Amino acid sequence: MKIVKLASILALFVASFLPGTTIAQTDPGVRGGAAGAGQPLPSVAANNPFTSLDFFNDGFSRFTEVDSVSGTIEQGAGLGPRFNSRSCAFCHAQPAIGGTGPFTNPQVTDATADGARNTIPSFITASGPVREARFPFFFNSNGSPNMNAPNGGVEDLFTITGRRDAGSCSLPQPSFAVAQSTNNIIFRIPTPTFGAGMLENIDDSTLLANQAANANNNIGVAGTFNHNGNDGTIARFGWKAQNKSLLIFAAEAYNVEQGVSNEGFTQERPLPGEDQTTGLPASCRINPTPEDHTNFNTTALGTSSDLVGFALFMRFLDQPTPSTTIPGGSASIARGRSLFSAIGCATCHTSSLTTSPSSLTTSLNSATANLFSDIEIHHMGTSLADNVSQGGAGGDQFRTPPLWGLGQRIFFLHDGRTANLLSAIQAHEGNGSEGNGAEANFDVLTPSQQQDLLNFLRSL
Amino acid sequence: MHPRFSRFLVLLGFSTSLLAQVQAAPQSGGDFSNNPQPAKLPVDVILVKGAWSSASDSVTPLPEGGRIAGNLFSNPYFGLTYVLSPDWSQKYTGPPPSDSGYYVLSQIRPADTFKGTSRGSILIAAHDLFFTLTPARNTMELINYNRDSLGADYKVERPPTQVRVANHSFVRFDYASPAAQLHWTVLATQIRCHAVQFILTSRDTTLTESLIREMDKMSLPEEAGPISGKGGGDAPVCIKDFARDENVVERVEPAFAERRFNPVPVRIIIDKEGRVRHVHFLSAFPDQAKAVTDALFQWRFRPHLHDGKPVEVETGIMFGRAPRSATRPSTNEATE
Repeated sequence: MKIVKLASILALFVASFLPGTTIAQTDPGVRGGAAGAGQPLPSVAANNPFTSLDFFNDGFSRFTEVDSVSGTIEQGAGLGPRFNSRSCAFCHAQPAIGGTGPFTNPQVTDATADGARNTIPSFITASGPVREARFPFFFNSNGSPNMNAPNGGVEDLFTITGRRDAGSCSLPQPSFAVAQSTNNIIFRIPTPTFGAGMLENIDDSTLLANQAANANNNIGVAGTFNHNGNDGTIARFGWKAQNKSLLIFAAEAYNVEQGVSNEGFTQERPLPGEDQTTGLPASCRINPTPEDHTNFNTTALGTSSDLVGFALFMRFLDQPTPSTTIPGGSASIARGRSLFSAIGCATCHTSSLTTSPSSLTTSLNSATANLFSDIEIHHMGTSLADNVSQGGAGGDQFRTPPLWGLGQRIFFLHDGRTANLLSAIQAHEGNGSEGNGAEANFDVLTPSQQQDLLNFLRSL
Repeated sequence: MHPRFSRFLVLLGFSTSLLAQVQAAPQSGGDFSNNPQPAKLPVDVILVKGAWSSASDSVTPLPEGGRIAGNLFSNPYFGLTYVLSPDWSQKYTGPPPSDSGYYVLSQIRPADTFKGTSRGSILIAAHDLFFTLTPARNTMELINYNRDSLGADYKVERPPTQVRVANHSFVRFDYASPAAQLHWTVLATQIRCHAVQFILTSRDTTLTESLIREMDKMSLPEEAGPISGKGGGDAPVCIKDFARDENVVERVEPAFAERRFNPVPVRIIIDKEGRVRHVHFLSAFPDQAKAVTDALFQWRFRPHLHDGKPVEVETGIMFGRAPRSATRPSTNEATE
């Protein structure tokens, strides 16, 4: 009883002295029930055009395939020499294949699978987010980051050293401990790919018109676009909208995350700044390249490379279906939706955009994509900056992440630093952030209104 | 070859190779046990910037150059000083200017010491009317456009109306969100061809009104007004599209080293003799800024005359090749 009284007094004390801190509202957490994602587009599910469903299913099997070095242990071939995981579907798994990182981090198993002898970096844990690591700067030879030498490339976590199928290959892992001790490391988590075909099929003019329509907002927002370096059109995939298309996105990921050379990225990949031959000894370059390629003398379905299969699978994934009642009930979700728009969140997280006419399948054709993103890159300030430049995006700029499917995501922000949605919202503010205005508006909502907004977001 | 000399050559070669290793390309990782205490990167600092604002000199005031000292916000470019209400402060600085000409000049909120029960925020922002993505040609049109493009979630509480604040003409526009129970008041005036806005947000309109009353302590340049603010006085006269052919005597195109596709909005000040004396990049990569600056300093303009006398001119030029959405001129009649 005394303990209860003490707790009550303490709660009153906290409430009295922290008027700006609201403690009533909470993140409802990952929405349970059936995965509202992972299905093919309705027209593809209806096999329109004919065989499109076969190609979707074929892409699914390729996406879920596990790679070994030469295809002798697991069916897929081309793993490594450096890699972050062994299958697309290991990391794009939540709440369904194609999504984002799952509850149990597969990278813990990847580290030592099939005899591999990797040390698991401290930032990779069984219940933590799937992560890739980047060093914003190269190191001097004494281990100090060289601020005159920006790096920013992916430092693969693991090597194939020790695996039963890796022969005498011997490669060291990057110096993650030194990178951590010198603050020279940042992380990225997997972006979900549901609705990716819609996102790919939104015309640049639609994005520009949306930008202009939001230009006169009263919350301090003014984003811009990342452009493809060759043709100048708007790029849209990845945390900084650095990739133009799903084909490029898949090709780079296959090479960088799994170490599989392919028709988009044709060589084995050493660490950033390393020469291909000195960085990767001949004993580690085990397969001819590209390891994934067009397959001749086979069936129509089998002819495509994995790369094309991956891109098609993601392109045909339907957008997530939000819940109308969970969490908090339909009234709360409806209020939260209004609040989301009213306080300015929807200035960047544009609720929907219309796709262009599509030659692929009718569900991509002039469709409404409920993506909650403007695909612009925005300055997010010092607390979120990762000091990695990609294309036209600087170290503090990030693409507005689409929020469709957010209700069933576990980890938030580019580096997965939090699993608490409320913390993720609060992280939008900081020195130099375009999110300060909307976050300030969120702060003046009542706890009940904030709860409605959280419920709405978790319904997505 | 003498054996000692050949040993010397080998040693020299070895030393050189060691030196080469030390000076070789920076490393991605490795064994750094020779330095157990390497230097750390500073945290919460943007070290790798993309396109950013910059200027050809560090003396000429810039729109983004305002600051808060004590309880006073001052911005020399706009000739603006604003006394903050007691216990209100800037918690976070704003983002850099955008490539569409938008500035967050300051964001002010109740400080932790604030004793009141009502909370809110004040956003001081500016739209460069040379580069805005809206169809507005002046501040009055911008606020009318704001009203016309207001979403269905809001209701207008006071249509754009001219008011006097700090003895200057402003346009005031109030709207609210019934869902959020939040009220917005936008007070805007025009200075140097920028729409300078004070946006007050709160649940409590009494608080808003008291903040507006306190704005009477603000000081502004004489030109300030919803349409009239076109420079002059101590500032250059601002003229949109002044860098058109009939005014440019000599033009040198910038030699860009790298192909990029970002917009590069530039404000320049042309002196009385027609030479560019100041270049301000709202957003540019350093290599773009250098190429444009090198070119612009070779441009020559016809001196602009006001009442028969040459005056300084400020104008905007958009470099870069990023596509923009087509904008229509506002249909609203602008009156002041």
